[in-house]
Amino acid sequence: MKDELLDRILGTEEELVPSSGFAASVMERIREEAVAPRPIPFPWKQAVPGIVLAVGVFGWGAVELTRQVVSAAHHASSISLHFPASMLRPVEGIGWVAIALGASLASWLLSRFMIADSRLL
Amino acid sequence: MSTTAKSATDDLADVERVLSGDAAAFEGIVRRWQGPLVNMAWRYCRDRARAEELAQEAFVRAWRGLGQWRRESSFSTWLFALAANVFRSDLKRVPTVNIPIDDIVEPSQPASQADELQRKLRYEVVRRAVLALPLRYREPVLLFYFHEMDVAATARTMGLAEGTVKARLSRARELLRRRFPHLADEHAAMELSASTTGKEA
Repeated sequence: MKDELLDRILGTEEELVPSSGFAASVMERIREEAVAPRPIPFPWKQAVPGIVLAVGVFGWGAVELTRQVVSAAHHASSISLHFPASMLRPVEGIGWVAIALGASLASWLLSRFMIADSRLL
Repeated sequence: MSTTAKSATDDLADVERVLSGDAAAFEGIVRRWQGPLVNMAWRYCRDRARAEELAQEAFVRAWRGLGQWRRESSFSTWLFALAANVFRSDLKRVPTVNIPIDDIVEPSQPASQADELQRKLRYEVVRRAVLALPLRYREPVLLFYFHEMDVAATARTMGLAEGTVKARLSRARELLRRRFPHLADEHAAMELSASTTGKEA
């Protein structure tokens, strides 16, 4: 099939005329949209300090954890002391507990801050 | 003033009125663009009722996002690009019911199909075959013919480079040619038959 023929077939579509009530039905929806209350935007202004705090806590936790792991590995290789796994496990757990507590605190502070600021209560 | 220029002026005036709080001014936009948008949607789905639903959705999205129209491009360019996004997303969500392009059979016996109705039916098969193309090739074809074979307008509506649109069009044509290898011969036979009949009359 040549391009000219394809152009002829696809380029000569019959024009569709919108139904008589089409414009009215669109305008009805537009009027509904116009009177509907605007959606409440997300309170970015109030949320940003909380987000920054949470990111900071998580970042700090990650950095601390990495630092401790690196230093522990370095220490272990230099003095060739080997602790049994049962002794190291609680130390690792402390890091995770600290991160969880930090995140909870940040979340609690953020929710308090947002509620107080939006005067919902 | 040309029709296009007048339409652009009217669009701008209506947009300004809508943005200043006059929702009724949007009706001017709807009346001017309902035909093109319904026809554009029709090419995407070939279902009249669905085409009107899609066009309505495009108008509502345009209403919501009217403030985002930067005056750098014409209102129609912005509206068509927005509508294409709406149609594309909706058709990804609920695809049109069509058969794979490899399953479309080219009708045989051209000599017996030399009347107008048969020709129309055969052309409709080709048009529907476009819907069976992969989306990346289908959309340039739909928009290219909607924009009266204007590659630049097609590229603007799709937000693609003209070269990309040309390459995809070429690939789409190749796929269609492969699917309908005998259509050109049959078309020539029909033309010859029509001209012979004309001369005899």
